[in-house]
Amino acid sequence: MSEFHDNYPEYEMMAHHGEDEGKVMRKKLWRVFWIMLGITLMELLVGFKAESWGLLDNHRASTFGLKVFFIFFTVAKAAFIVLSFMHLGHEKKSLKWVILGPYCAFIVYLACMGSIGEGGYSKDHRADMDPNVVQQASEHKRPGGGAHHEAEEGSEKSSEQNNSGAESGTK
Amino acid sequence: MDGWQGGVSPFRVSYGKLFMWFFLVSDALTFGGLLCAYGFMRHKYPDAWPIPGDVFTHFPFMEKHIPLAYVGLMTFILIMSSVTMVLAVEAGHRNNKKGVTIWLLLTIIGGLMFVGSQAWEWYHFIVGTAHGAVREVWSAEAGKFVKETFHGANLIHNEYGPPAFGDFFFFITGFHGFHVFSGVLINITIFIMVVNCMMEKRGHYEMVEKVGLYWHFVDLVWVFVFTFFYLL
Repeated sequence: MSEFHDNYPEYEMMAHHGEDEGKVMRKKLWRVFWIMLGITLMELLVGFKAESWGLLDNHRASTFGLKVFFIFFTVAKAAFIVLSFMHLGHEKKSLKWVILGPYCAFIVYLACMGSIGEGGYSKDHRADMDPNVVQQASEHKRPGGGAHHEAEEGSEKSSEQNNSGAESGTK
Repeated sequence: MDGWQGGVSPFRVSYGKLFMWFFLVSDALTFGGLLCAYGFMRHKYPDAWPIPGDVFTHFPFMEKHIPLAYVGLMTFILIMSSVTMVLAVEAGHRNNKKGVTIWLLLTIIGGLMFVGSQAWEWYHFIVGTAHGAVREVWSAEAGKFVKETFHGANLIHNEYGPPAFGDFFFFITGFHGFHVFSGVLINITIFIMVVNCMMEKRGHYEMVEKVGLYWHFVDLVWVFVFTFFYLL
């Protein structure tokens, strides 16, 4: 490797450690795994029970609180993966900023778009939704149990119209 | 610490590792864009959009419908393979070839299990349910759109909801699945190099660390797909 390095330090070797250090490290990694597994199981349980606990608006979309709950734990899991598994927590501060800085900006941008920007606009204009799309949805009200979609007679829609309905949302 | 004087890496990491990070930053923005588009459509059409818990209810060897259990299992498989990968990296830091070999092999197996699970889920999504839903489907014989019961999903129709739902499903999980698939191929390449003692000759296992970064990233993306596609 020396021909690539000139007089550079060998960064590839810098993370090397001994047996004892390795033991401590493995213990930490397994702990992170158990935490992440616990979070995932809890999320699944909440997702499974959301309807019976009344956390769904109109039996369809998650309530705001439930969304915040899921997103919080998702970001927590992401932080565990990036900082612990991907080792970013132990890198130099400048590298951390180079990687995470753009995402901090991205999250702020998304929050603004979601609340006061495009998200707010689309929420106010839900009434303008293509009627075909709404009608299509009304056919899908669940009959209960496992079977979810029942065919109904008398639906008048074309897939083309549905497509245009879907596209109008992205204007 | 003084400012950077040149002559050393400003980030104290090797060139290859730094650029793996930069690649992942850009790749994450692609997934971010896809998930934002999905979230926007879901938010715009709350009544038309199907609830994932109603769509993904299958579980292998079970007659009963269990919502989300299968996706939970897939998440478990991927997190598990992420752990085996990080243990391979840790073994590499001790120059322990046997440890790297075993953990990397387990990571490859986990990756293949995940890709297989995803294929199974796609199969059920495409084939659909027995009852289906009425859609206006183009008939080449009649030369016009005819109303008929449509089962499963393709890129134009799906029985679950608006066409965009199927398209997002195929594109987001497909794009992620392709990442997993290529990750498995890269892991196999590195595995062969490790077994052939190439890393031992170099004196370090940094290649394992680099593919490890990619592999954890795939896990990271799945965490977000899991939340935004299946849970919310």
